[in-house]
Amino acid sequence: MTRPELSISPPRRGLGRRVLPYAMLSPAVLVTLAIVFLPMLQTAWMSLHDYVLFRPNVFDFVGFKNFKAALQDEVFWISLRHTAIWMAATIPAQLLLGLITALLLNQEFSWRPLARALVIIPWALPSVVIALMWVWIYDSNYGIANEFLLRVGLIQKAIPWLADPQTALAAIIVTLTWQGFPFFAVMILAGLQSIPRSYYEAASIDGASTWRQFWHITLPGISGVVATAVLLRLIWVANSFDVIFVMTGGGPGYSTYTLPLYAFIKARTNLDFGYGSAVAVLFTAMLMVVVVFYLRRARNAVST
Amino acid sequence: MKRMIRTFGFASGLAMAAGLAHADSTVHFWYHFDNADNPMSGLVAKFEEENPGIKIDAQNVPWNSYYDQLYTAIVGGNAPDAAMVKMFAQPRLIEMGALEPIDEQLSNWAGKSQIDDNLFKLTQAADGKHYYLPVQYVILYLYYRTDMFDELGLTPPETCEEFEDVAKKLTRDTDGDGTPDVYGFGFRGGKGGHDQWASFTLGREGVSLTKGLTSDAGVAGTQFVQDLFRVDHVFPPSAPNDGFSEIIGAFKAGKTAMTIHHIGSANGMVEALGDKVSAVPVPECGGGRWTAFGDESTAIFSSAEDKEAAWKWISFLSSPGNNAAFNEATGQLPVVKSDADSWTLQPKRFVQATVASLPFAHLYPNVSQTSDFVNTVWPTAMQRVLTGEITPRQMNEEIAELYDGD
Repeated sequence: MTRPELSISPPRRGLGRRVLPYAMLSPAVLVTLAIVFLPMLQTAWMSLHDYVLFRPNVFDFVGFKNFKAALQDEVFWISLRHTAIWMAATIPAQLLLGLITALLLNQEFSWRPLARALVIIPWALPSVVIALMWVWIYDSNYGIANEFLLRVGLIQKAIPWLADPQTALAAIIVTLTWQGFPFFAVMILAGLQSIPRSYYEAASIDGASTWRQFWHITLPGISGVVATAVLLRLIWVANSFDVIFVMTGGGPGYSTYTLPLYAFIKARTNLDFGYGSAVAVLFTAMLMVVVVFYLRRARNAVST
Repeated sequence: MKRMIRTFGFASGLAMAAGLAHADSTVHFWYHFDNADNPMSGLVAKFEEENPGIKIDAQNVPWNSYYDQLYTAIVGGNAPDAAMVKMFAQPRLIEMGALEPIDEQLSNWAGKSQIDDNLFKLTQAADGKHYYLPVQYVILYLYYRTDMFDELGLTPPETCEEFEDVAKKLTRDTDGDGTPDVYGFGFRGGKGGHDQWASFTLGREGVSLTKGLTSDAGVAGTQFVQDLFRVDHVFPPSAPNDGFSEIIGAFKAGKTAMTIHHIGSANGMVEALGDKVSAVPVPECGGGRWTAFGDESTAIFSSAEDKEAAWKWISFLSSPGNNAAFNEATGQLPVVKSDADSWTLQPKRFVQATVASLPFAHLYPNVSQTSDFVNTVWPTAMQRVLTGEITPRQMNEEIAELYDGD
C-alpha cells in the first residue's frame, strides 16, 4: 500500500523543487532581459530603420539599407581590419605575459604576497586613467617612452607614437596588453595552484626535465582555466573601445578605428542611430562566429 | 546612537519642510563652465532674491559630451527648460522642434538696446526668427611670443606668405641635439582645430564651406596647411592628434612660438609667460581674411513648463553686471555694452586683437551638416591630410560633398 502514497507526495515535493529555482532565478533573469536583451532587440530593430536622433519624427523602415551601406563603406572595412589586428595581437600578448607572470608568482620568494598585490594594479585601474597615463607616456615632447628610447639610443628623434598612423594602433595595443595581462596572471595562478605537487614529484622521480614537466603537467593542468580566460578576454577586448576613444578618438584619420568605436561614433556623435546600430549588429554577428568557432576548438583541445 | 537618530530626524524634518515650501516654479538650466571658480551659485542666489517664486536648478554639464547629452535629453523628454547653446547646434535644435522663439519677449525687453545689434543678426535663425539670446562671444586670433620675435628681429605676420616665412625661422633647434625644440606654430589637428584651418582656407577668394571649396583657391588653403607640416615641419610632430590642452600647453611651455586661439586662454598664457605673449588678428591668406566667431547664447526650450520664468532667467544673465559675472567664469567677452566698456579681466592687448578681428569674423553655415563637419568630417580628413593618406583636394571634396548632399 505504499505505492499510492509515493505517487502522490513526490510530485508535490517535485513541483516545489521545480518552481523554486525559477522563482529564485527570475529576478536576475528579468533584470538581464530588461537591461541587456531588450536593448539588443531594440538595436536590431533600429538597424532596419532610418533613424537620426535630430530628426525624431522620421523613423522609416528601410529594410537592409543600412547593412548594405555598411558593407560598401570604406571605413567599415578599415575598422574591421583594425578590429582583427586588435584582437589577434592583444589577446595572445596578454596571455603570454600573464602566463609568464603567473609562473613567476608561483615560485617561492619572500615578498610574493606583495608582488601578487602589485601585479593586479593595471587591472584595477579605471580604463580612462590608464588611457590618460599612457597618452603622457607616449607624448612626443615630454613622454617617458621617447626619453627612454632616445637615451638608450634605439631611436634618433622623438616619435609621435599616437599621431603617426604607422604606430598609433600598435601603441594602443601595448597599452591594452599592459592593462589586461593581470587578469590572465591571476586566473592562471589559480589554475597552477590547483595542480597537485605530487604530480611534479612523481615526474621528477621518473626523470622528467623542467620543460617536460611544464609541457605534460602544467599546461594540461591550466588548459581549462586558460580556455575560459581567453574566451572572456576575446569578448571584452573585442568590445572595448574606451581606451582607444580616450587615447586617440580613432585618429589620426581612421588609423585606430575599430568596429565598436565606429558604431559608437556614428550613433553618439553623428546621431545616426540607424546606421550605428547596423554596424553594431554586424559586428555582434561576426563576433558570435568567432566565439562559436573558438568554443568548438577549445572544447576539443581541453578534452583531448 | 539616540543623539544620531535625533539629529537625523531633525535633518529629515528640515528637508521635508524645505520640500513643502517649494517655489512656484523651477527653471532647469544647463550650462558648461570649465572654471573651477564657478560663480553660478552667486548668480542664482541673486536672481532668486530678485524674483521670489522662481527657483533655478542650474546644472554644469561637462563640455565634451554637452551636445550628446542635450540631444539625448530632448529625445528622451528630459530637456532642460533653458540652456547655453552655440550657433552650430541651432539648425538641429530647430529641426527637432526643441526651441521656443523669443522675438516677442525681445521686443518688449528693456535690456535689448544694451546688446550690439550685430550679435542679434548673427544669431538669427534661417527662418528669420530669434531663438537665441547672446550671452558671450570670442573671436579667434593669433597668439605669438614677443620675446622670440624680438630675438630674431621678426614682426607678426600679416599674410600667409609672411606667416610661413616667420614660422620657418621660429622653428629652431636650441640645444643642438639635431631636433627642433621650438616649433613655429602649434596646429590643432584634433577635434576643434577646424577654426585654424578655416583661417588659412576660407579667407581665399570665392571660397566658403558651401561654395568654391574644391576650386584651386580652396584646395590651396588645405595644401598650405599640409605643406607647413609635411614640407616645412613647422608644427610639432604630434600635431595630427593635438587638441586644446596640447596646443595651449605647448605654447605656454615654449614649445611653439605661435598658435591660434581666443581670449579665453589669455589669462592662463599671461600667467605662464607674462608680457612675452601678445596677439594680432590672423594673417590674410589668398586675398582675404577669415576668422571664426565663437558664439554662445542662451535659449528657451519648447518643452519648458514656465517659459516666462525661463525668459526672466536668461535675460537676467544678459543684463548689465550679471553678464560680467558670467563671463568672469568663462574668460570670454560680455555682450552687454556697459559691461564690455568696463571690462578689465584680460590685458588690453588681447581685447584689442579681438575687436580688431571683428570685421572679418564669421560663423559657419547655419545648417545641420555643420555639426558633422565640426565633429567628425573635418578632424578625420585633416588628420589624413597631415599624415599624407589623402590629398588636400580629396579633403576639400569630402567637405563639399557633406554640404552638397543631404
